[in-house]
Amino acid sequence: MLKVQGTLLAPAGSVEAAKAGLQAGADAVYVGLKGWSRGGARGELTPAELQEVLLLARERGATVELALNTIPRGPEVDFLLKRLKELREWGIAGVILNDPGIIARIHRCYPDLPLTASIGCGAINVDDVALLEEIGASCIVLPGTLHPAEIAEIRPHAKARIEVMIHMVDEFHQLGKCWMPSYYRTNPAPMPEMPADGERLTGSIKRGGAGVCFRVCQHPWDVYLDGEKRDERMLPARQVSRAFEVGAYLHAGADVIKLQGRSLPVEMLFGLVRRFRRAIDHARNGHQVVELPPYELPRQWVVLGR
Amino acid sequence: MNREPFELNTGISNMKDLMASDLSPYHAIYLGNPFCRDYEANFLEELEDLRAGIRHCQGVGCKAYLTTYAAPRNYFLPQIRRAIAVAAEEGVAAVEAHNLGVVRILHAEFPGLPIHIGGFANVYTDTGAAVLRDYGAARVTPNYELSLEEIEGMAENTGLELEILLHGKMPLGISDYCFLLEYEKEWGMKCPDLCQQDLYLRQGEWAMKSVGKGVLSGRDICMLEHLPRLVAAGLHSFRVEAISEDPGYRRDIGQVYREALEQALGDAYQIRGDWWKRIQGHAKVGLCNGFYFGQSGQLYVGSQPSAGSGETSASPRPELGPKGSVEPLSRAVSSQLRVIS
Repeated sequence: MLKVQGTLLAPAGSVEAAKAGLQAGADAVYVGLKGWSRGGARGELTPAELQEVLLLARERGATVELALNTIPRGPEVDFLLKRLKELREWGIAGVILNDPGIIARIHRCYPDLPLTASIGCGAINVDDVALLEEIGASCIVLPGTLHPAEIAEIRPHAKARIEVMIHMVDEFHQLGKCWMPSYYRTNPAPMPEMPADGERLTGSIKRGGAGVCFRVCQHPWDVYLDGEKRDERMLPARQVSRAFEVGAYLHAGADVIKLQGRSLPVEMLFGLVRRFRRAIDHARNGHQVVELPPYELPRQWVVLGR
Repeated sequence: MNREPFELNTGISNMKDLMASDLSPYHAIYLGNPFCRDYEANFLEELEDLRAGIRHCQGVGCKAYLTTYAAPRNYFLPQIRRAIAVAAEEGVAAVEAHNLGVVRILHAEFPGLPIHIGGFANVYTDTGAAVLRDYGAARVTPNYELSLEEIEGMAENTGLELEILLHGKMPLGISDYCFLLEYEKEWGMKCPDLCQQDLYLRQGEWAMKSVGKGVLSGRDICMLEHLPRLVAAGLHSFRVEAISEDPGYRRDIGQVYREALEQALGDAYQIRGDWWKRIQGHAKVGLCNGFYFGQSGQLYVGSQPSAGSGETSASPRPELGPKGSVEPLSRAVSSQLRVIS
């Protein structure tokens, strides 16, 4: 059996979370910068906190990726480009972006800066990956709803790193393809950091800045057929958490195992990262994952319990 | 060849629906259902129907376009290639791609075939549109969340032809999973009949229409009152979103907008009472303007009275103030804001 490597990329919504993730064995963490990330205001770091996380990671030989994955508008893009110059100097390992246009533009300005096409870019097939790579992404995130066999089909055609988010909430609508929350409500608000006119559009998952959706899919809906109420239900969603399939994904060609959850409480995050660390180590050693410590996401975090 | 002063188009999923529809109000038809491979006799799967459908459109003086799946996995791609090849053989005027991978396939394997970028492709930025132009896009539908101001800016900055949703239910997302299948036994109905029923998801005044692998806005986007602005902005291509509607809807709404756009191109634009009557007759839940005025997608801006249970506001032009805020859907929703990371 071929030896696999596999990088474990953990979420961190705070300095404490980054510490916990690194202690639990993450090779890298991803964090959001206040105002620029879909992670939500509660899961974003200030510039000073980002520097603290960079230091922590450096001490452990780990790296930090920066999620700048809202879609900025005209003048915001210029501001972002200036900001990136400084952020690069701080030592970020790469930037996670959510729009092909922004990827292409940043790649032109900073050709050496590793750019990740976020899961919100919606890549799910071999040609999606190829196009994102052609415009400058050096890493593409694929959802954990793709099977290892699909990753194996993509791998030979991609030079870019393949990152698979195998711990994630599979919402009713695909990530990056949902406008239900903003149809319901859009709340513009001033954007932190921006000199003027910068606006978050809370409610828009893509442009929110705050990244807040109103979880409209997770509230009871009356189902009407021909004008008659026939049921009350939530739209289907599930927690995907494929620790037992880590080996299969790595053998299929995934380079990075990514975990969703920047809003996870620190104590929960530690256990989650630990679990996937062990799964990757088993796979690296060529072992089948037959035993992992029991781990159950508390109901308030699992999507169906929200 | 002289270009029409505007293009009014719509979408039709299969041959049965095409033959039952009066195409006379439209300049072009997008053939195929982008949501689901199992949609009844989807043009994207029934390639002989696709041939016949393209010929039928051309025969009645309409341009035929092919649309493609909004979220294709690897195993969809061979069928998409076959459908594009058939469409190209039949002289289809353009192919609509909602997916980056399909854009790449069209660019690399079908050079010369005009590419239209669909609303699921997430074109939010000028640079995003420019990237797709480099891949051969001739026309782009910006993401539905963009305001008219942003759309006008994109048209100016990119020089690309933009298409916008003029009337109809706005797609709100695409899913891998059709939850309607769970009702086959209970309702005594099977796929592919299920998603063609009159199906709404409701919570109080709020409603969305289910099409199985996705939902549409319950309210119909209606830009009848705002046509002069759209025309003045140089927008040329307008979609009546009727993929989930019956032929009567397609005919009535198409006729209203065909007449209204012709009038809007002239000096005086006056909305006729019978236009409203026909539009409101088809708006089961009400009307809205989507995101065109920089606010929540279900609000209506205009002077007309409400249709159905929909509420309208009389404000002529919204300000972007603390804005966009509407009454909360329910206490439960507003108290349970959650965060996606």
